[in-house]
Amino acid sequence: MTTWEGLLYGIGFALQPAVLIYCVLGVVLGTFVGVLPGIGAMAAISLLLPITYYITPEAALIMLAGVYYGAQYGGSVASILMRLPGTPQSAVTSLDGYPLARQGRAGVALFTAMASSFAGSMIGIAVLVTLAGWLSHAATAFGAADYAAMMILGLVAASTIGSSSPAKGFAMVVLGLLLGCVGTDVNSGVQRFTFGRTELLDGINLVALAMGLFGVAEVIANVRDPDRQGVTERIGGRQLLPRRDDLKRLPGPMLRGSALGSFFGALPGTGSTLSSFLAYALERRVSRTPERFGEGAIEGVSAPESANNAAAISAFVPTLTLGIPGDPIMALMLGALVIHGVQPGPLMLEARPEMFWGLVASFGIGNLLLLVLNLPLIGIWVAMLRIPFRWLYPAILIFLCLGVYSVRGLSFDILAVAAIGLAGYLLALARFSPALLLLGFVLGPLIETNLRRALLIGRGDPMVFLDRPIAAGFVLATVGLLALSLVQVWRRRRAR
Amino acid sequence: MQRDPMHRDWPDILGGLALAAIGAAAAGWALAQYDIGTLRRMGPGFFPAILGGLLTVLGLVVALPALRRRSDAPGIEPLAALAVLAAILVFGLGLFRIGLVAATAAAVLVASLPAPRPGWGWRLALAAAIALLTVVVFGLGLRMSLPLWPRLP
Repeated sequence: MTTWEGLLYGIGFALQPAVLIYCVLGVVLGTFVGVLPGIGAMAAISLLLPITYYITPEAALIMLAGVYYGAQYGGSVASILMRLPGTPQSAVTSLDGYPLARQGRAGVALFTAMASSFAGSMIGIAVLVTLAGWLSHAATAFGAADYAAMMILGLVAASTIGSSSPAKGFAMVVLGLLLGCVGTDVNSGVQRFTFGRTELLDGINLVALAMGLFGVAEVIANVRDPDRQGVTERIGGRQLLPRRDDLKRLPGPMLRGSALGSFFGALPGTGSTLSSFLAYALERRVSRTPERFGEGAIEGVSAPESANNAAAISAFVPTLTLGIPGDPIMALMLGALVIHGVQPGPLMLEARPEMFWGLVASFGIGNLLLLVLNLPLIGIWVAMLRIPFRWLYPAILIFLCLGVYSVRGLSFDILAVAAIGLAGYLLALARFSPALLLLGFVLGPLIETNLRRALLIGRGDPMVFLDRPIAAGFVLATVGLLALSLVQVWRRRRAR
Repeated sequence: MQRDPMHRDWPDILGGLALAAIGAAAAGWALAQYDIGTLRRMGPGFFPAILGGLLTVLGLVVALPALRRRSDAPGIEPLAALAVLAAILVFGLGLFRIGLVAATAAAVLVASLPAPRPGWGWRLALAAAIALLTVVVFGLGLRMSLPLWPRLP
């Protein structure tokens, strides 16, 4: 299937009412959640995982993806109007977005954010389509050793890049891998770490784990939030329209931000938060008037918003073509597919074209919907910003409990959420990253299977990882990253 | 060098030691209970034993340097955590004993305890509203088979 045939096919698929409705549901819920400070995309996706058990895997993926990029739109609304970023990705947007709102130009800032997000997502789609075709072609040559080496590289990259303490990051990844071992071992049928509980035979429930680590932990962290205040004047109509000199400033940051975002989004372990920070820094460097940044520069809203939306889409490249999630949100998406028995990989483009092209088309449709819906709906989102969190979180908790119960009909899972929530709270207290734990948990079984297979094929000789050029490349990159982070830690210690 | 014990980097020390303990326990359990196999034919114990060992080392790498370092106490509210977790337990344990309505209301009341606004009026109203919403959405709307009321003896 050529790219254009694929796109047309995907648009046809995604516009079917039974699919379109989940796209709409995803983006609206995502925006809703993104607007509410205190619940991020991660928690929102965890909360919605139970719904995906009742729909087709294609619709599930399209809905969860919609929640992800919808949350970024919503997050920018909260960070511009209240300087309360609903998602970490949009924290950067508040640097210039909030000053703009204080100057009475909230409408322009919101318009810029939305237009830039749209531009970013369109460029992200182009990158996804190009890279995915190329990568899944290349990946058909991958063997078990290559996969195992690549996944280990992904985990090492995720825990070292942009982390202040690589050791703590690694520890979380390894704990996640270990939790992934719980349940029946696929190769031997032995029950590992189940301690006789039949509820654990299939392993720790991904929904319970995600809800405990993200849903419960985010609720706990925000319970004591005082009622919010911010710029809440009525916004709409002509206020949204930018001036001509604003418009002239936009194309540069949009293009640079999108390029940066799609590049870093596709790399494992970096993701959209880093790319929006980098895009902001880059814009400030290339600007002829860097002193305007932080005081309400429209470029400072445009660049990070383009970057994080482009990154959100290009992050699907490794997830769909290699079956390897680059960040924890992608790990959740992959987990949702695995629940349905769909294992993404290089063959998916051919074997399940409706999955890949349908998702690609839904990105376009969903982002267009966001642009069209959100400009008139902005008043509703602004009103929602005023809902006090103390009304919301008890309801969130109840929905969370019933959601996790609905998956298997076991009240054991509700109690498991409480236990995992306690663990998540303690991890947050000690500043360990639960996101890396989840990444390890999802990748654990895949790594173990490929590792065992590779060594079986290689007759127990670990050289199998160095004999194959692809695997050797990944091993080399892993060793390089490890060495680099050791040098960094050593330098920091010496500087003190 | 700081000698004040209150200002040690307790999060890293305790967190690292706890992880090391978990790792050692997992590795020990895997070695004792499951077949390790060979590198060529790994048994079910091989991967967890390696991971457990790795986690032990990493936990110590986090904890030991932290002994000589100071850090601010982390500022997350224990009361909020206690109330939220207790609410989930109340709901999970109560669902089949006192029914959906009472379990929801009780859980909401417990969860709302640490909210930054005094008074019982809004809490009771919130509990009633969420209980109603839950029954409408999950009981009547999604038709989940849950007992709504306490089972009469």
